[in-house]
Amino acid sequence: MKRRSVLSLAVFLWLALPSLALASTTEGGEEEFNPEHDFEVGEWIPIHLGPLDLSINKAVAYLILGTICTIALGVFLMRARIGAKNEVGRRQAVGEIVYEVAQTQVAEQGLPHKAIGRWFPYVASLMLFIWVINLLGFIPLPLSNETFDLFGVELPTLAIYAATSSISVTLALALMTFFFTHYEGIRANGVIKYFKSWIPDVPKAMYPLIVPLEILGQFMRLISLSVRLYANMLAGHMLILTFIGLVFVTGHLVLAPLTVGAAAAFYLFEVVIVVSIQAYIFAALSAIYIGTAIEPDH
Amino acid sequence: MFNLIAQEASSNVDAGKAIALALGIGLGSLGAGIGIGNIFGSMIQAVARQPELKGELTGIQWLGFALTEAVVFYGLIGGLLAYVLV
Repeated sequence: MKRRSVLSLAVFLWLALPSLALASTTEGGEEEFNPEHDFEVGEWIPIHLGPLDLSINKAVAYLILGTICTIALGVFLMRARIGAKNEVGRRQAVGEIVYEVAQTQVAEQGLPHKAIGRWFPYVASLMLFIWVINLLGFIPLPLSNETFDLFGVELPTLAIYAATSSISVTLALALMTFFFTHYEGIRANGVIKYFKSWIPDVPKAMYPLIVPLEILGQFMRLISLSVRLYANMLAGHMLILTFIGLVFVTGHLVLAPLTVGAAAAFYLFEVVIVVSIQAYIFAALSAIYIGTAIEPDH
Repeated sequence: MFNLIAQEASSNVDAGKAIALALGIGLGSLGAGIGIGNIFGSMIQAVARQPELKGELTGIQWLGFALTEAVVFYGLIGGLLAYVLV
């Protein structure tokens, strides 16, 4: 019991630290409060291949960390051995919950029966990966462009930043779904039948109006899929930062309990609801898009 | 004199931008608020009538919630783009 209270105190201090770091950088007064600076990725290890910019920056660092965490989580939860007396351990129970959500809520909602075996791994790993990188975005980590002095040592400040609050990351994920959708549609139906299935049953006279709209609609999916995740995470972080920053903008410390309380409420809302919902939505919509491409009649 | 007029104009433009952004996002949230209220209201009604369908409906409910909620963010991104570009 005592160990647990010490642990929770440590977690609380860890979560309270970034506001202190923020306070220490703005204490000088000459620095203006700009929450959008937190979303600049910077350039840590420059890698340029001709016109291609493959530099390691903040978002890439978060993505690498997220990948490692996803793999670790998968191995930790799914590779657990069944206990000696066929009992289900706690690890395995959690793993089964994750698997069941991915199976019944995501894959079976959108994918036709024959395609589940083929596309379940994709949508399940998409769900788990986005969930992990969204959640990593709300844990203060020493990965940021700014530094502060601690006993003469330059340390990066603790900051919250999600890789998914960069449009490039979400667009890459959405492009993957976009590519797989059309690949799978053409593979299952053939080129002509697949592209014909885009056009709904309307009189021939309506075709000049409907065909461009349907083609545009396919590309709008790409935009809506990527912008939904990106804007949700960006707005969530911006909201928290703005509420904490309100103290420094107005300069009244009296407001601190109110604004930090509001920021904590939004933080909880984001962590408990938005993170999971967005991961679920992205995976479920990917499954639905791939499913409708395979069986256009449904 | 001209300098003063120019200064005033630029501050007017800034004020106009701020009002437009706030108004745009506010009106966008209005629509999404109505939509989200509709979804949860319908969900409550549906579960009250047929509680055994709750499991099936929950997935659809969250899907609809996220699709509706995203409309605000399209407005937000459009507003921010207009704010930065104009």
